[in-house]
Amino acid sequence: MSRLSRMTKIVAAFAALSLAAGLAACGGDNGGSSNGDAPFDVVKAGKFTVCTDAPYPPFEYEEDGKWTGFDLDILRAFAEGYGLQMDVSVQTFEGIWLKPAAGDCDIVASAMTITPERSENALFSDPYYNAAQSLMVRSDDEDVYVDLASLSGKAIGVQSGTTGADYAKANATGAQIQEFDDPAAMFLALEGGQIDAILQDLPVNVERVKAMGKTTITAVFETDEYYGFAVAPGNTALIEAVNATLAAMQDDGRYDALYDKYFN
Amino acid sequence: MALSPRKKAQYIRYSVYTLSLIILAVIILLVDLGRLQNAMFRWDIITDQFPRIITLAARNTLIFTALGFSGGLVLGLAFALMRLSKVRPYRWFAAVYIEIFRGIPLLVTLLLLGFGIPIATGWRWPNPYLQGAIPLALVAGAYMAETVRAGIEAIPRGQMEAARSLGMSYPRAMGTIIIPQAFRVIMPPLTNELVLLIKDTSLISVLGVTSATKDLARFGRDGVNQTANATPLIVAGFVYLILTVPLTQLSAWLERRAKVGQR
Repeated sequence: MSRLSRMTKIVAAFAALSLAAGLAACGGDNGGSSNGDAPFDVVKAGKFTVCTDAPYPPFEYEEDGKWTGFDLDILRAFAEGYGLQMDVSVQTFEGIWLKPAAGDCDIVASAMTITPERSENALFSDPYYNAAQSLMVRSDDEDVYVDLASLSGKAIGVQSGTTGADYAKANATGAQIQEFDDPAAMFLALEGGQIDAILQDLPVNVERVKAMGKTTITAVFETDEYYGFAVAPGNTALIEAVNATLAAMQDDGRYDALYDKYFN
Repeated sequence: MALSPRKKAQYIRYSVYTLSLIILAVIILLVDLGRLQNAMFRWDIITDQFPRIITLAARNTLIFTALGFSGGLVLGLAFALMRLSKVRPYRWFAAVYIEIFRGIPLLVTLLLLGFGIPIATGWRWPNPYLQGAIPLALVAGAYMAETVRAGIEAIPRGQMEAARSLGMSYPRAMGTIIIPQAFRVIMPPLTNELVLLIKDTSLISVLGVTSATKDLARFGRDGVNQTANATPLIVAGFVYLILTVPLTQLSAWLERRAKVGQR
């Protein structure tokens, strides 16, 4: 056998190999691992993977190396009910509702309001929390910035992609809106005077005031917003299981116990 | 059958070409081109990005880069000279500055200076461009100081000696004889630094952006969020190339021209 024909064989083998690898990769896309007792597929076998923008207390944060918070405690109870281990994948909030469709996780739990725009690219669970928006200012400015009108010409900080950002853009027309990726940067900017107020979900501002002091909430805006968990569009098996667990937790008092723990 | 080394090399080359073509063909066949186009190259979204991606986003990226680069060049030159100074405290000060700003990630420097200084002192940044560009200039200055120093040290010692023996003062010899020649040497690494700086401006958005101060990367990301489609990021990446490729070509041209003079 000449060297040339051996080379041709190697080339052919490589081509076949890459073809096979390519096909295998394609097959993996829509598959997902199934689980013995769970009626839905998960992206990582034996795990229930949750995308969240953390830390965002009191909804999702790490305490002594363990993920906790209102959202994550609910989903941990859900995962354990199906013998799965909850796995947390931290993401930036902007566009986080697209992650399950991209196969990065099974579900998004990120203190996320159900909106029509987000529903175009994600399937939401039943609402599990009623949130309002609120305005937080430095305690020194407590009597100055009491509403959006008083912030005319001033800078309001919001987190990119949130309903708080949308609310500020629609209603605080006289103010300058500054967007941040990260709530931590936003709090530093408020402390340093770069911005004069933060507009975001009430429970998060409440938690911040409790934890840090130095800031005060001067206005609450009832916006009729409800938080929901989000899965990939079409993943009805998972969302039905989540809704069933939510209903069961509301019936048997586990939901109320968590609510008291985090909000009272 | 024995092959001559030349024939052998030729066959190997052909096999590599064939293999590459096969892999390319396999990729084209396997990838769903329609789906790819729908996710990353939607024409209506591409046209939507213009003109603001140029008039707003690219403009902001260039402002940050220009401020950061010119500030960094001044700082780099100053610290390079301090590093080469005979005065020991100057040398120490320059060494500490370079180590600190070269060793701390730009992201951390941005947060520390952008938020930390106002919190610690009560002083406010006069405008958002300076808030982003000054940390950028400090970091760029640390890198450029070492580049400039290397350039100065690459000029033969005889140049300085000759200038001094003609009666030039040290600053005059440095400024008119050594540094101009050093810049010819460091043109390629300085271009490199400029290109890195253009891309580093994408980190400045951690300090918060208003609709007027968005840079290219941030503009692209916001576009992705609004359209639930990756096309705006592809466009932003393309605009980055429009900014960087002419710069590197200009630098290559200057380099060729400088070499002609050297002969």
